[in-house]
Amino acid sequence: MLLLAKTSFAAIRDTTILQAKKIPGWVSGQVINQDHRPLKDVKVFVKNTQSVALTDTDGHFNIQAPTGSTVVFQLHDYYSNEITVDENAGVTVRLQATYLQSPDKIDVLYGTQSTESVLGAISTVYTSQLTTTPASLYVYALPGQLSGLYTQQTSGFSSFSTASLTYGDVDGLSHISTGAVNARATDNNEITLNVRGQTPVTIIDGVQREISSIDPESIESISVLKDALSSILLGINSSRGILLVTTKKAEAGRPRISFTAESGVQNPLGLPTPLPAYQYAYLYNEAATNDGSAPLYTAADFNAYKNHTDPYGHPDVNWFNTILRKNSPETSYKLNVDGGSGVAKYTIGLSYFNQEGIFNQAPSSAYGTNDDLKRYIINSDVAVQVNKNLSVDLQLFGRVQQSQEPGGGSSNILNLLYGTPNNAYPIYNPNGTFGGSVLGSAFQNNLLAMTEYSGYIQNNTNDILANLNLNYNLNSVTKGLSFNLKGNVSYESANALNRSLQNNTYIQNKDSTYAAVGSTVAQSNTFTTIYTLRQTYYQASLNYDRQFGKSSINGLLMYDTKSLNSNYDLPAVTTDRALKVAYNYDGKYFAEGALNSSGYNRYTPGHQFGLFYAGGLGWQMGKESFIKDNFSWIDSWKWRATYGKTGNNNIDTYSYYGYVQTYGNGNTDYYTGTGRNQTPTYYENGIADPFLSWETANKIDFGADISLFKNHLQLTGDYYHDKYSNLVQIRGASIALLGIAYPYENIGINLYHGFEFSATYNNNVGKFNYFITGNISTQASKVIYSDEETPQYPWNKTTGLPVGTIFGYEADGFYQNAAQAAKGAVFGSYTPKAGDIKLKDLNGDGVINQFDEAPIGNLKPLVFYGTTLGFNYKGFSLSVIIQGVFNREINTDNSYNAPFQGLGLFASPPQGQAYENATARWTPETAATAKLPELSFINTKLNGYNTAFSSFYLKSGDYVRLKNAELGYSLPYSWAQRLGFANIRVFIDGENIATLAGYGGYDPEVSPDNYPIQRVISAGINVKL
Amino acid sequence: MKNYKSKILIGLGLLTSVFACKKTETFPVDKLSIAYVFDVRDSAGTNALKYLLNVYAILPYGHNRVNKDYLDAASDDAVSSASGEDVTLLSTGNYNSITLPASENVWSTLNSTNTANYWNGVRDANEFIANIGVVPVKDVVAANGKINGIGVSTRYIWKAEARFLRAFFYFELVKRWGGVPLLGNKVYNVDDNLALPRNNFSDCINYIVSECDAIKDSLITVQTYNPSSDNYRVTLGSDLALKARVLLYAASPLFNAANTNSLVGYTNYDPTRWTAAASAAQDVLNLSGYSLDPSFKNIFLTQNDQEVLFIRTANNSNTSNVVETNNGPPGFPSAVGYGITSPTEDLVDAFPMSNGKAISDPASGFDPTHPYANRDPRLTYTVLYNGAQWLSTQLQTYEGGQSKPNNGQQQTLTGYYLRKFMGNQENATQYQSHDESWVLFRLAEMKLSYAEAENEVLSTPSPAIYQQLTDLRARAGIAPGTDGMYGLTANMTQAEMRVAIQNERRIEMAFEEQRYFDIRRWKIASTVMNQPRMGVSIVNTNGNLTYNYMQVLVTKFNAPTMYLYPIPYDEVLKNSAMKQNPGWN
Repeated sequence: MLLLAKTSFAAIRDTTILQAKKIPGWVSGQVINQDHRPLKDVKVFVKNTQSVALTDTDGHFNIQAPTGSTVVFQLHDYYSNEITVDENAGVTVRLQATYLQSPDKIDVLYGTQSTESVLGAISTVYTSQLTTTPASLYVYALPGQLSGLYTQQTSGFSSFSTASLTYGDVDGLSHISTGAVNARATDNNEITLNVRGQTPVTIIDGVQREISSIDPESIESISVLKDALSSILLGINSSRGILLVTTKKAEAGRPRISFTAESGVQNPLGLPTPLPAYQYAYLYNEAATNDGSAPLYTAADFNAYKNHTDPYGHPDVNWFNTILRKNSPETSYKLNVDGGSGVAKYTIGLSYFNQEGIFNQAPSSAYGTNDDLKRYIINSDVAVQVNKNLSVDLQLFGRVQQSQEPGGGSSNILNLLYGTPNNAYPIYNPNGTFGGSVLGSAFQNNLLAMTEYSGYIQNNTNDILANLNLNYNLNSVTKGLSFNLKGNVSYESANALNRSLQNNTYIQNKDSTYAAVGSTVAQSNTFTTIYTLRQTYYQASLNYDRQFGKSSINGLLMYDTKSLNSNYDLPAVTTDRALKVAYNYDGKYFAEGALNSSGYNRYTPGHQFGLFYAGGLGWQMGKESFIKDNFSWIDSWKWRATYGKTGNNNIDTYSYYGYVQTYGNGNTDYYTGTGRNQTPTYYENGIADPFLSWETANKIDFGADISLFKNHLQLTGDYYHDKYSNLVQIRGASIALLGIAYPYENIGINLYHGFEFSATYNNNVGKFNYFITGNISTQASKVIYSDEETPQYPWNKTTGLPVGTIFGYEADGFYQNAAQAAKGAVFGSYTPKAGDIKLKDLNGDGVINQFDEAPIGNLKPLVFYGTTLGFNYKGFSLSVIIQGVFNREINTDNSYNAPFQGLGLFASPPQGQAYENATARWTPETAATAKLPELSFINTKLNGYNTAFSSFYLKSGDYVRLKNAELGYSLPYSWAQRLGFANIRVFIDGENIATLAGYGGYDPEVSPDNYPIQRVISAGINVKL
Repeated sequence: MKNYKSKILIGLGLLTSVFACKKTETFPVDKLSIAYVFDVRDSAGTNALKYLLNVYAILPYGHNRVNKDYLDAASDDAVSSASGEDVTLLSTGNYNSITLPASENVWSTLNSTNTANYWNGVRDANEFIANIGVVPVKDVVAANGKINGIGVSTRYIWKAEARFLRAFFYFELVKRWGGVPLLGNKVYNVDDNLALPRNNFSDCINYIVSECDAIKDSLITVQTYNPSSDNYRVTLGSDLALKARVLLYAASPLFNAANTNSLVGYTNYDPTRWTAAASAAQDVLNLSGYSLDPSFKNIFLTQNDQEVLFIRTANNSNTSNVVETNNGPPGFPSAVGYGITSPTEDLVDAFPMSNGKAISDPASGFDPTHPYANRDPRLTYTVLYNGAQWLSTQLQTYEGGQSKPNNGQQQTLTGYYLRKFMGNQENATQYQSHDESWVLFRLAEMKLSYAEAENEVLSTPSPAIYQQLTDLRARAGIAPGTDGMYGLTANMTQAEMRVAIQNERRIEMAFEEQRYFDIRRWKIASTVMNQPRMGVSIVNTNGNLTYNYMQVLVTKFNAPTMYLYPIPYDEVLKNSAMKQNPGWN
């Protein structure tokens, strides 16, 4: 590498030579960025001399440098570059932006703030950290990159509803993502996010919008705002963290065009291995024999299954291989244009994304039946400086999305796929009809027919958003004052088109005739509006920002109102009236405070508004002389602390205009008369609760930001202590004599606390720029109060334990022999046998029942971490993201570990699928190594003994993933320019490349039955004009 | 200049937004208030009636009510063909104060429709009683409506109906738990003190009976007032029948004994309780307008049947065949049946021969090689056995037969399927729909109750007692015999008659949610439920059938604890005044 560095051919330098007149001993030229935009204030210096220069606004520089000397170019947030001065005088030098950015100003809620004055706990990622992840949603890029943000993927593909939202959906009681505040119609049903124990609110360009499908390339930054001061302007919704997304704004300059094409393949991860039919039959017989009933399969059956001599009567179909494919493509194209003058600037982003699903498709099918997602996005922003005081910014965002699934329903097919044994029925009968089985209602529909020959269901989601910002400079009134008006209107609609059908299945009789098993449903053509969502948001604010000597004051007076309207629901209106003031002295001492009178229109009239407040203090210790004079290696050392009383407006999750006693209609139709007339009935709705209010929290955050060794090493640490009160719960003394469900009341108190720490180191050795950043967060919680009745046994109590503690029986291995089992506690009327899980009888009454349930899981604080590392050298770049979590537990009490049960297929006797892990069941011979209890239908089903939830099924959910890596190469500027481009970059991305998990069964994040998590390998090219 | 323009524009924009505001709906107009339901202007009482129908809907609908099974599948009459069912948990004693199955936890299970919760029923009835007064119902029962006191507004009838329903709900609680808190007419709110103690068993019985007495003159007498629409309504017959049932239970050995705990029964034995029970049943028998239906099967298929005193209408909109689908035998592709209910050999053996003599009687003519020949016709109406005519074929329940294929699908465990409540499908090819109302009270029960109580009153069975049994046997199609005794032994002692009545009640009322409670109130559950349940395995060797009787389920009953249900654990925990039933924790 050193050799290469020395052989610095002009051709592979990131520079070009201008044909200009040489002034001996001087070098002049221009410094530009990847977008061919001039860079100003680039520090230009000549190694081993005193020559230093800065580039001007056009990026030009002129520096005295003898031929043969090395000129170095440095700019914050860019990799440094250097050239060797040769005969030619003028050069153009291109600097590449660093992978990790640390700008001077960061985005905060409703504005930007200089990094040094921020008192809250904020972590941020920038564009380059987002674009390495090939995925449908930007949230895929977040795991491991932001301290304090915990993620869990629950599905590998977008899913949609096909039914129109009902009243219950609309009022939020059963709608998507009930955890999030007012979160209607989020497009993210794949990854759950959690900031300090709470689902965050997503704010995009200053407006709350649950959109996760914005093209990462048009996103400037994504921040997580974790403390009370940072979120207080949300008032009644300020208890949760904020995921703040800021899209790129136009930059003045000549038009810049950037085009990216990327294409990749996805492979499902974590699919279980089904047992071949003969093994399944063998284990099935073993289970039957264990239960004392007659075996179902004969030796002839085994042979037929094993040798596949009777494919129709004794089928052995690996349904995973039959209906799923190994590779599915994913493609995206992105075009971004921006430019303009000082008066008017514009940016336009267009993107197309297409992801195909895991199902096979019939070659004969005239239309697509596979899972499929196609998305078109247009995002434009025009900023006009109308006059010296008034500027106007108009943003328009539009999204057209079409997704599709097989007529059998994607999740339904996967559910049946996991539950259907290999020998359930043949794919086809000898006469070409679809095979089926009478043995269970789940087998009346053929999996292949459902996947490939059942038409399709389509979902269309369209939305449009317009954002208008007016900024009026009121310097004429008083210096530093400005007025800001923001209006946002958005509309979203989703509808479903159902063109599914159902094929009949048949079974061959002994006389070779066929009997229909299922039923036929003709191809339908129905159109359903799932929802329409209208949202308006208005904000007016007065800003004041002024410096008086060493004092600097920043004030904000704000009023905003947001109205959400979904289907036939009434508008849900949130209003804030806030004042925020920040003061700092000499950049050393900081103080900030905010008040917000905030309300929501669905609380009892007169009790709709609450006062929320937050404050913070900061001390830049690094600027004190005792540091500056004694520790020159400390560049910055800022202490900060915030406290706030915040609100969580979640009434829609629990009550819909519940402050007035109302009556429902049609709870149970009662049929009267000889004609059996359907008479809808009236009934009392839940008891009115005029006192239900929002939840509150007292949130404290202490932190420090430290920068050392000329900013090469940056450290950030935070401790948080968030106490959530008035949690909406049902009172403990909810005595059934009332005769109706108790209303929700503000009762509970939970505490969340933990540490977050991140460290970043970046440096360069000549042109070899490298970086490493890591973060680790802990999250502990405790139920302080939940109005719990004192149970008979102390271990039944939840108060005092972590929030979300898992209760269950304590398992203690297996009963290894009959003598041990005979001494064991009974379970109802069932006495355990050898090979059963040994459950601890905590109260010693000889019976295993609910009194023996104890806290068994989620007792330790969750710890999650991530690290990103990489380098950039002569156009080559590498970044790697590793992400992991520990102290996590997963519940594996499902059909994977309870063979024959079937996922959701509780037929009698059990007839669900069994997987390879079933071979590790307990038998007298394998007693020492068994991983599952003795096979049985009675145990697992009749009494539920072995499947009773116990610590046996609680497995480690710890994992470390090589989450993402990107290897890229930017062609040297001289080459690119010769081809007519400012930049050409090729890259290979990988997602979910490798995983180390504590539990070996299936994927630690996405459990079976859900659309599996995907490994994605993709390659692409980016050109810039 | 430019500057002013933009200021004006902004100003205009703000002004328009201010003036553009108009009033919008601030509370959803579709939300109904109590003033709408109980409307002072609703002279037809339309909305109030809809509220009352919601109270009616809480009545138990017994067809496959307990999860998927009949409650009687938790007695000695049947077992569930499915495994892990609630009825199996009940019959195997596999429950405690926490795990009492939701379908029988009618105390604290609140589901979306609240159909299984009788405290909800009490509340709703109380709310109706408290509010119906404001509704100016003008409808007046005509003279031929046969109500006492012509010209009574139907709203008072409705109020009486609500009081009946409340009494009915209380009794559903009392027969399961013993004494329960009596709430009176108060509609409780969240902040009222609900930590109420249980009332004594005797208080509860007195309350229910006094309610029955208080309303009896306010109810329509028979449904003929408007038979096309009123067939579901509470009548005088329903009211007297409830009273008779309550008094019969109260007089039964479980409660009518020297209990030490006054919550779970009386504290002394009092023979006059039998007298009261007999007289209450006699009152029902004395009612005009009711008579035994000559066709046993039609009782359950006819809406305004002459024998029926009270029904709970079906949940399905019209006539259908859900009963057949759930309980019919499998193996008929055109008539899907899941065969969930497996009647036991114990029940089959309880049916006498068609001459009325028990099969254990050597004189009965019972042939073990043809066990179903010449039996009480009610056996054929109640149970589907091998060889029974069904869906135009002879039912095959022998091993490997059409309806017991042993191929892993759900099938009978005992060799029998349920027949009762089903339509006349013997010669159909697919199930024909029919009415599926659930019969809550019918005359036959009252006859049996009268016989049972009267037998305890008298030292020697009277002809009237014999008459009740022979009436039922005659209707069933048992031959009168030369002595006209329909197979009954003449001059039985009180104890012999007791056994005869209990057996008659078992076969006549099978699957009607009687047996499960009868074996408790007779205190025989500790005997019968601690015997294994039996079934038959029939082997067909070239048309020669051999009958092997085998055990299908080991049931279990912890006496005396299980004679009453445990109060749900939480309820005892939350309410310091709530006393748990003996033996439970």
